[in-house]
Amino acid sequence: MGIPEPRRSGSRARRAALAPAALAALLLAGPVRADDATQWIARAAQAARQLNYAGTIVYQRGNRVETSRIVHLNQGGKEYEKLVSLDGPPREVVRSQGEVRFYYPDAKLVRVEPRTFRNAFPSLSPEQQKSLREYYDFKLVTGERVGGIAAEVVAFEPKDGMRYGHRFWSDASSGLLLKARIVNERGEVVEQFSFTDIQVNAKVDRAMVEPSWPALPPDWTVKELSAGDVAPHETGWTVTRVPPGFTKIMEGFRKLRGRQNPVAHLVFSDGLVAISVFVEPMAAGAPMPGGMQPTQGGLNIYTSRQDDSLVTVMGEVPGATVRQIGNSVARR
Amino acid sequence: MNENISRLMDGELEPSEVDGVCAALKRADVVATWTCYHMIGETLRGTPVAAVAVREAFAARLATEPTVLAPRARPPSSSGLVTWGFAAAATVAAVTVVGWTAMSVVGDPPAAVAKAGEASAISAARVRPSTIPADYLLAHQEYAPGAIQGVGPYLRAVGTQVSDAPSDQP
Repeated sequence: MGIPEPRRSGSRARRAALAPAALAALLLAGPVRADDATQWIARAAQAARQLNYAGTIVYQRGNRVETSRIVHLNQGGKEYEKLVSLDGPPREVVRSQGEVRFYYPDAKLVRVEPRTFRNAFPSLSPEQQKSLREYYDFKLVTGERVGGIAAEVVAFEPKDGMRYGHRFWSDASSGLLLKARIVNERGEVVEQFSFTDIQVNAKVDRAMVEPSWPALPPDWTVKELSAGDVAPHETGWTVTRVPPGFTKIMEGFRKLRGRQNPVAHLVFSDGLVAISVFVEPMAAGAPMPGGMQPTQGGLNIYTSRQDDSLVTVMGEVPGATVRQIGNSVARR
Repeated sequence: MNENISRLMDGELEPSEVDGVCAALKRADVVATWTCYHMIGETLRGTPVAAVAVREAFAARLATEPTVLAPRARPPSSSGLVTWGFAAAATVAAVTVVGWTAMSVVGDPPAAVAKAGEASAISAARVRPSTIPADYLLAHQEYAPGAIQGVGPYLRAVGTQVSDAPSDQP
């Protein structure tokens, strides 16, 4: 499959100049510094938001493989994106600025969600940088290819069993993220996405990122979801055995729809991944929490009971990590 | 101790706590609790009385074989990482899943039961389901870093099952 040569534009050339400079800085620095490594990924993520591109994405979790077509447009700073599944049941995801619509034509359902990137690559606190250094080894690899494009790879290799390994491939010239992989301690791929073909700086217009159902058929159902606002606050809950390297980055209450009581939400991070802890009163007659839940790709979920409260822990970490946290939630 | 037995059955006991429970299982009252919990579990799953048959022999063996119950170190794949393949098979028929909207999922069969070789008899669909509210997943995504963040949640959603009866969270 032929890969069109990326078109050059003024702003693009400036961005393209950034990536090799950043890489050179990393290589010259000898051992990769934690903050540099995360900044490098941040630039890759930024390119994914700023550039126009069209391509085919293969997404893999466990032994499942799905292929989707993605088109991304940044028009005057506003982002539009359309993802269409090519195999399995028809699915379509359309992102328009801050809103995401998931279309399930077989169920005649559309789900609407706000998309909030509250913590998309913040500058790391000194404590988090220390965590990254202490709990991951960094590696930079050049000379690999993804979708026919020369890629640079940054690898985060965990030093203990409490976190997964992460690898990110980015286009050597544009910085665009081309591939990302999460591996477990046995080197098995837990979750991965990869472009098999991609046209960077593709000519994309608004029509290409419009939903296939601009006017919804009357017999479709619309479901709106919201994660609710979170107000930083002491919740009265604590985790007594936080895995090494993780620190609390947020604690507060969320008001979720359909719930009388606010839900306590605590977030822990090691600088690379986040773990959420939710605590809410258990409804009368509710089934006992079932422990480990089936994973959603790299996301592991563990539920348990603490007094009369339901504890749910989720994060892109091994099962043992969410389990340890879930089993050590206690009242402060 | 009762809670520890329950946690051991659910595979939730920390390795450091297992020895203590195994030692306690030499006591008749603790064995009774163990047996009772299994009977409850089996009744809930519709396979009653299996525990009764083994109880006497079980107690007798325990008295002489202190390590019979000491669990071997399990690879994380069996203790923690339930593969999506298993989850999908279990959820297709029994549970309503609408992407992240109401991800009803099926709990782990209790580890002790699995160890006893009875897991194959348990239909996953009959094991108590629990529901992970979609709101939780959405709230977590706000903090989930990683360069995969941009498309990761969509890709996960695209691959999920939809039933004909989408349900709200409980």
